Amino acid sequence: MIIQEMANSTSQWLRGDGPEAEIVFSCRVRLARNLEGFTFPPWAHDSVLRDVSDKVLNAVNKSDYLKNSHLINMSELSSIERRFLLERHLISLEFSAGGSRRFLVTEKGGMLSLMINEEDHLRLQSILSGLQLMDAWRLSDKVDDELGRNLDYAFLPQWGYLTSCPTNTGTGMRASCMLHLPALVATHKIDELLKNISKLGLVARGLYGEGTKSQGDFFQISNQVTLGLREEEIVDNVGRVTRQVVGQEKRAREILLKRNGTQLKDQMGRAYGILLNAHFMSSQEAINLLSRLRLGVNLHLFPQLNIPVLNELFFMITPAQLQVKEGKEMTPSVRDELRAKIIRERLGKLR
Amino acid sequence: MICQVCGEREATFHFKEMINGEVEELHLCEICAKEKGLDETFFMPSFSLSNLMAGLTELEIPLSEEISVSCPHCGLSYEDIKRKGKIGCALCYQVLKEYLTPLLERIQGKVRHSGKVPRKGKVEDQGERRIYELRKELEKLVKKEEYERAAKLRDEIRRLEKEK
Repeated sequence: MIIQEMANSTSQWLRGDGPEAEIVFSCRVRLARNLEGFTFPPWAHDSVLRDVSDKVLNAVNKSDYLKNSHLINMSELSSIERRFLLERHLISLEFSAGGSRRFLVTEKGGMLSLMINEEDHLRLQSILSGLQLMDAWRLSDKVDDELGRNLDYAFLPQWGYLTSCPTNTGTGMRASCMLHLPALVATHKIDELLKNISKLGLVARGLYGEGTKSQGDFFQISNQVTLGLREEEIVDNVGRVTRQVVGQEKRAREILLKRNGTQLKDQMGRAYGILLNAHFMSSQEAINLLSRLRLGVNLHLFPQLNIPVLNELFFMITPAQLQVKEGKEMTPSVRDELRAKIIRERLGKLR
Repeated sequence: MICQVCGEREATFHFKEMINGEVEELHLCEICAKEKGLDETFFMPSFSLSNLMAGLTELEIPLSEEISVSCPHCGLSYEDIKRKGKIGCALCYQVLKEYLTPLLERIQGKVRHSGKVPRKGKVEDQGERRIYELRKELEKLVKKEEYERAAKLRDEIRRLEKEK
């Protein structure tokens, strides 16, 4: 039921009202924490996981930020429902495999979520629209403090917060921004840019799906190192580099418009035409076309459309979202038909 | 092309992940792709293909001698931890310190934690939390340009750090 309710609503961070939200889709801060005296989840027996989840849920109930959240027992979900949470960026791929004693606590606006017994006992994340990493950190920090009032975290002065994987030891923090960079991709500047980012000690990644086309020109920038820097320094680093990339994307957009304005408009217009009229559409095609249209909206070529609607569409058409909303399993071709219909209707309303 | 996970079946799913401008490829058969949840494109640029691959090569540290120490709390040896790429519990960090230190230094650099300290915890950490809170306070004072009070606070922090 909870999942169904979630499928009918969208997350706050999709509203696109944060700073630089036309390029920075969302920003996220994730904290990893473990409890003192309990074996970490990858090695823990069921009774340990049970004790941990009891303790953490007890602390959640005492948290002002989290006490009114949805509480989801992962073992009670179908694989499609777990997949849905993954597509909503509320859980990790690892967590979406399910398993007993695993819980997700998610605040109803979708801004805060807590995975219990993932790779670490606690994985707390906050997602905000646009470039507001410092705010996302402050929010996580407060919730973490609240939970920490009732939990003994595994901590050593030298190593900081102790985590399952040594790549998270210290602050346990991963700060990241998801960026929409269609113009840097179109002007072939992206490879060099991502390489330069890695020289700054950050990680930049983009996922390429089947075939060679990038998945809608979305990329993620995050910190690599978690130890030795203060959380604010990590947030500053990621934020500063993100701002530079945003500046470069803006310049690339101007150049594109100046040099190939007509060609660019043609591409975006065609994307709009297909989205408005198609009767079958795969996830991949939809993501690529929506990405192109999103750029057009940013360039004010489609005054009837707006960014929140497009942001929302990316999430409304994912395979599990479609199936959860319809309340049944569907074959890929049935989904492709439904996907095309949803897009046609949503965009059609705004003509 | 053969699936990189099972090493048996023909790979029919081909992924490319771009990390820092370098393209990494992953080729999976249908069964393994499904198992990893990668059998359908979805909107998620933020997860790592390489993390999905079994075995963490970054933990491959050559050892000259055989390590027989194991953690009294979780019972794991360094060999176990290396195999799975995951540390067993908080006590491992102390008991297996000799082996984990070079590993952590390689991943994170030769550094000491300087971030947040939990508000609750073992007694020896309480001084750390106090310093952490004072540092935060100091930042606020500097932002407000209250330099005189900031200077006093800075001296106080230095004194506490020496006491540790």
